[in-house]
Formats: sequence, structure tokens, C-alpha cells
Amino acid sequence: MKTYIQIIRLTWEEMMEYRLNFIMWRVRFVMQRLVVYFLWWALFASRETFFDYTQSTILTYILLSGIVATFVTGTRVYGVGELITRGDLSNTLIKPINFFSVYAARDTADKLLNLFLGIIEVALLLSILRPPVFVQTDVMPLVLAGMAVAIGTVMYYCYAMIHGLLAFWLPDVWAPRFLSFVILEFLTGALFPLDILPEPLSTFIRLLPFQYFMYFPVKVYLGQLTVLQMAGGMAVGLVCVGILWYVMAMMWRRGLRKYAGEGR
Amino acid sequence: MIELTRYFRLWLKLASQSFMRELLDRWNAGLFLAGKLMRFAFFVAFLLALFADAPIIGGYSKEQMLIFFLTFNILDTATQLFYREVYRFRPMVVSGDFDLVLTKPMSALFRVLAGGADPLDFYMLILYVGLLVYIVIQMGVVSFISVASYLLLLINGFVIATGFHILVLALAIVTTEVDHTIMIYRDLTMMGRVPTDMYHQPIRGILTFALPIGLMMTVPAKALMGLLSPWMLLLSPVLGLLFIVLCLRVWQYALSQYASASS
Repeated sequence: MKTYIQIIRLTWEEMMEYRLNFIMWRVRFVMQRLVVYFLWWALFASRETFFDYTQSTILTYILLSGIVATFVTGTRVYGVGELITRGDLSNTLIKPINFFSVYAARDTADKLLNLFLGIIEVALLLSILRPPVFVQTDVMPLVLAGMAVAIGTVMYYCYAMIHGLLAFWLPDVWAPRFLSFVILEFLTGALFPLDILPEPLSTFIRLLPFQYFMYFPVKVYLGQLTVLQMAGGMAVGLVCVGILWYVMAMMWRRGLRKYAGEGR
Repeated sequence: MIELTRYFRLWLKLASQSFMRELLDRWNAGLFLAGKLMRFAFFVAFLLALFADAPIIGGYSKEQMLIFFLTFNILDTATQLFYREVYRFRPMVVSGDFDLVLTKPMSALFRVLAGGADPLDFYMLILYVGLLVYIVIQMGVVSFISVASYLLLLINGFVIATGFHILVLALAIVTTEVDHTIMIYRDLTMMGRVPTDMYHQPIRGILTFALPIGLMMTVPAKALMGLLSPWMLLLSPVLGLLFIVLCLRVWQYALSQYASASS
């Protein structure tokens, strides 16, 4: 356990090595949220509701999805691709530590820092902008939203790891990663709630695992899902986690057989 | 004139090398292109979904909103087509390789700004221009003057975008920070996907004059649709010119601070 706590501390130090870079990264997070926030604020200028959303629920959705996204999708796993293509994976393989646990620890460090700073930044935005936000007072949606975030977090770890492990077969994983970022930008619900899209597009997108990274936990928090929808969503989420975990483990086993330590 | 021709030939050479490099791996190029197409399609789907619930948003119709969005895309893609090299500048400064650029008999700014065109953006640009022409013909409300004003203001928007990229390069020399700065610029320009006069004050004022995203993206589209006031048509190029002169001054200052630390 001490080893992994040390890895968490080292990851924090690594993240803050270039201070200005670190500050600009956080500025970027705030800017991204503000861009979406101002867009929705403008859209509500002449209307009370859009689809079934009031200004209060949509602004809460935007700000909360920022915190959820920073926690769920905050990861160091994307470095795995370069680790493999440069042959640096050999360094990890000869150490008496578990590869997946090392990256789980690094992810934990990233997520904790993201969560801490994300809450402060959103609190600052709330105090400056004073938007009408929806505060959930029921305990049940809060607990279930927490569970949904946990499912999304594990799922995203597997998803990002699968992208990294592609490097066993591809010389460059940047292009698939770019495609993945574009997909995540829209299909997680970062820009807009997925249920505003027309049918059957909306239903199709909600069948994909991406909604668990942002949309589903926030909808649970807002209390806009029925008990059946929440239970069904959790069950499908767990199945997706199982499938992605299996794919990840299989890729790791097969990839290691192919790995030749090129570049070392 | 001779100097201009020389730089144009130089740019063609650098661009052709960059095109060959980028298209070397067809699989990766295809994925990048697919990503760009998807990003465009997703936002159009979002806009269409909004208009399914409201025929007019912020005083604009669906077709007008698409013209704003396509103008944003044309400008954004054109700047990426020409200025992709900016994204590769940081390693050059950190490693000291920028010294090699400074010793060459050409403008260092030209080399680090326009030395690596992106072919994929060229394909996307054709798509956006084609779609814009199609929508404009469908609307059938444009005149020669509005098209001429649009092109003039689009060039002005490109000049302002050039200024922003020069500022990012200057900041990279002074601080070695580029990655997030250029992405913050990209994030901010995203606000130009819809007309900036839709935003509340003071955001609208900031986006028009302090961070001239409105001048870059909204003003040309409004000119095309005949919605621009004459004084704005005259003021925009003046502001664009002032902005680029300021950015060039900042670049000169930054260059004087370059310490060649890692070489």
C-alpha cells in the first residue's frame, strides 16, 4: 500500500512540475465550462424552457457535469500508448508491482486533484455568476449519483487503458485518441443533455457506454430518472464495465506476447 | 514583391513537405478526418435539435445560424491549415532547436507560424465552403456587395486569428508554455460558433472588442446576410490592423527575451 501512496504523491509532484502549465490547464478547465455555460445562458434569454429543461436545471447540469467530468475522465492512462511505443514498458514489467495498480494509483492522484480544484473552481463560478442552480436535497439520488460516478470512473479507466494498449499493434495511437476525444466531447453529454436530441438518435446514443462518463450521473443527481431507469442504467453500466474489463485484460495478455521492447 | 514571391515559393515547399509527412500514414489521416467530420456533424445535430424546439433563437433562423457556424468553421479551419506549426513550437523552444530557425535566411516568425500546413484541414475547408455556398444559394438573399464585404471581413478575421497565434508564440518564448494557451484560444473561439450578439453583456462587449472573436466570426457572417451596420464594416478592418501591429510588437519583444537556454 505504501508503494501506491508514494506513486500518488509522485504523480502530484509530476503534475505540478511546470507550474504555469498546471495553472493554464486549470484556466482551460474553467474556460471550457464558461463557454458552454454562456452558450446555454444566451439560449435561455428569450425562453423559459428548452425541451423539458428550465434555466436552473440546465445550468446545474452544465456546472455539475464539469465536476463529474473532471473526476471521471481525469486520467494518466493515456500515457500508456507512448510507454509501449517507446519501449519504456520494459521498465515497469521488471518491477515487482502490478501494472494496472500503478495506473490506478496514478489515476487516483489525478482524480483527487481534479476533484479538489474542480469544486473550488465551480464554487468560485457560482459565487461570481450567481446562477439559479438546482440543489438536490433527497439523500437517495445523491447516493445513487455517487454510485453512477463510481461506475463511470471504472468504465473510463478501462476505456482509456484500451486506447493505450492499442499501441501494441499501432505505431501511433494519437489519431484514435483524437477520434475518442471528439466522441467524448459530444456523446458524454458535455455540451448538451443527450435527451434533447431527436429520437431514435437520442436512444441510440444512450445505449452506448459514453453516457456513464457524465450524462447519467448528472441526470440521477437532478432526479430526472425514474427508479426503473436508474436501476436499469446501473445494471447496464455494470455489464459495460465487465465487458470493457475483459477486453482490456485480453488486450494486455495478447499485447504482451507481441511486445518486443522496440525503441529501447 | 520579389520578397513576397520568395516567401510564397518557400511556403509551397514547406507545405508540400508537410502534406507528404501527414499523409504518410493513411490510416491515421483517415481517423483524424473522421474525427473532424464527426465534430462538425455533432454540432450541426445539436443546432438542428435546438431549432426543432424553437423556430427562432436569439433573433436568428436555422439557416442564418448555420451560416454563422460555417463561417466559424471556415476561419477556424483556415487558421489551422496555415498555422499548424504553432502547435509544435514548444519542443523547439524547450530543446533549443529554435536556434536553428533563427540562423536561417528567412523570417523566424514565418517559419514557426506557417511552416507546417495541415492537408486534412484543406479537405475540410472545401466541405465547409461548399456547404456555405449551397445554403447561401438556397436563401437567395445575397448581393455582390454582401459577398465582397464577407470576403473582406473574413480576411480581416484571418488577420486577427494570425495575431492570436503570434501572441501564443511570443508567450511560448517567454514562458515555454504553448499547449494550453493555444487550446484556451481554441476554446474561446468556440464561442463564435453562434453569433456573439446572442450572449449577454458584458460577455458580448468582451467578445467584440477585448477578445475580438465577434469581429473574426460573427461580423463577416452578418455582412453576408446584410445585417451589418456600415460603421462596423469600416471599423472592423481598422481594429484588425491595430491588433496585428500590436501582436507583431509583442513578438519582437519576446524574441529579444529568447535565451536559447537548452541548446
